[in-house]
Amino acid sequence: MTTVEAKTGQLAWVYDLNKCIGCQTCSVACKVLWTRDEGEKHQWWCSVNTMPGLGTPKNWEEMGGGADPKTGKPRPGHQPTREEFGGGFDYNYYEVFYGGSAGKAHLEPQAPRENRWAMNWDEDQGAGEWPNSYFYYLPRMCNHCSNPVCVQACVTGALSKGENGLVLRDEEICMGDRFCMEACPYKKIYFNYDRHVAQQCIGCFPRIEAGVAPACVRQCPGRAVFIGYLDDAESAVHKLVKQWKIALPLHAEAGTGPNVYYVPPLSPYRLNEDMSIDYETPRIPPEYLESQFGPEVHDALSTLRSEMESVRNGGKSEMLSTLIAYKWQELLGPFTVDPATLTPSANGEA
Amino acid sequence: MRVEKVNEGVGLTDPSASGWSAVAPVTVSLAPVGLQAQPNEYIREAWKDRAYGQTPEAKLSAASDGQRLYVRVEWQDDAAPNREFQDAVGAVFPTNGTGAIATLGDAEKPVALWFWEHGRPSALRLISRGPGRFRKADGDELSALGTLKDGRWSVVFSGPASAAARGKIGLAVWNGSNDERAGLAAVSQEWLPLELD
Repeated sequence: MTTVEAKTGQLAWVYDLNKCIGCQTCSVACKVLWTRDEGEKHQWWCSVNTMPGLGTPKNWEEMGGGADPKTGKPRPGHQPTREEFGGGFDYNYYEVFYGGSAGKAHLEPQAPRENRWAMNWDEDQGAGEWPNSYFYYLPRMCNHCSNPVCVQACVTGALSKGENGLVLRDEEICMGDRFCMEACPYKKIYFNYDRHVAQQCIGCFPRIEAGVAPACVRQCPGRAVFIGYLDDAESAVHKLVKQWKIALPLHAEAGTGPNVYYVPPLSPYRLNEDMSIDYETPRIPPEYLESQFGPEVHDALSTLRSEMESVRNGGKSEMLSTLIAYKWQELLGPFTVDPATLTPSANGEA
Repeated sequence: MRVEKVNEGVGLTDPSASGWSAVAPVTVSLAPVGLQAQPNEYIREAWKDRAYGQTPEAKLSAASDGQRLYVRVEWQDDAAPNREFQDAVGAVFPTNGTGAIATLGDAEKPVALWFWEHGRPSALRLISRGPGRFRKADGDELSALGTLKDGRWSVVFSGPASAAARGKIGLAVWNGSNDERAGLAAVSQEWLPLELD
């Protein structure tokens, strides 16, 4: 794999999927900071979807892209369309609030009903049949990959792997060619049709530079997201990813070396027809989790279960204490500065 | 090709302006920028089995009133529109008297583009160092107006008359309905000499 050396260490995110409650606070924290301008209505640089699900853009897991894991060479992919991302709807606010309809008109997206789609459109649908239906929440953002095929596919040199290992775009240089959107296997790059540039998560770099954690991390009410330098042996992200190996990349087979990791979801056991518990069979099919997080998912879940068992029996576990995050500042790595102390520009305001 | 001398205020910024009927166009043959010349492996892989740059020709005419150079390009494009990518055209000029037109310049010998794309709020001045290797450039005022009628685009660029002193011109056409952008274009294979009236 071709690896682009990060200039000052590689930042990594770890989302604990056992703590994510799908509240979209990370999504909204990001949205209000970075994507409120023209052409950004449909953009959700951070978004949470129910899995299994089609997600956003619709059916993104079938859109190709990524790199050959052996050679690092980029593989062709589909450029998600505006319709596949969906969302960014206008609503009939005037009609409802001022139109004199007195309760007869209801808020309705001003878009054709057929093929309507948006971020989180298939919320909580999941899979399986009652009483064994199942789902979990999956927050997604730019993976700030170590082998960023978006950078390789970019013609103009607008994209680069910069400080802190963040993949950043110079919007003055971007011509809106969108090869990056084709090449990205995670389909987390958006196109701004008004400004003719592609856009994606910037890792809240102005906050990082000021010692403040990214909005998605800082605002998470579930204490489910960690950030830190992957090679800092004292950091939570290092321990979760490298030491305990319980945080795994999503679709590592895409070959881009993603730097967003996930503690995979534990699963309740299946219920038999007589409602007795089948202790042998987890409700989320292990093969499904393997399709998401690779074969390492089985060991990761096994490690988690044995650690939980140990604590139930009176033992202590640094791993579980880390995941619980008794002090929420522990999630923030070195980025513990209060964002209220920031200048407006570092907080996403002009 | 001749740059027709016109009086100031003739009004050639609109492609359908009557003044253009007095300016004889030349037909410019176009051919796709070669696959191997495409600027990265991703594009060469993604487009190796897909045709692009199939617009066969365009009509080119030019006029100047001494202040402005007007370049009018007309070409057939009756493909259904594409929401993602738009039709576009570039008038290409050499820099320092040289540059490879068939690849839209290269690293050593860049070319200059006047670039118009349907839906873009304004025309762009670009410096190109190879297929798609564009950088936006500063410079004197450039404007462009394009109209689509009966499956034919007509686009007029209006730029500083000094551009005619570059001595040569070429063309590049992008078919948006075929997802063409960057170096995926039909380009003229040779420079046309620009001769001021």
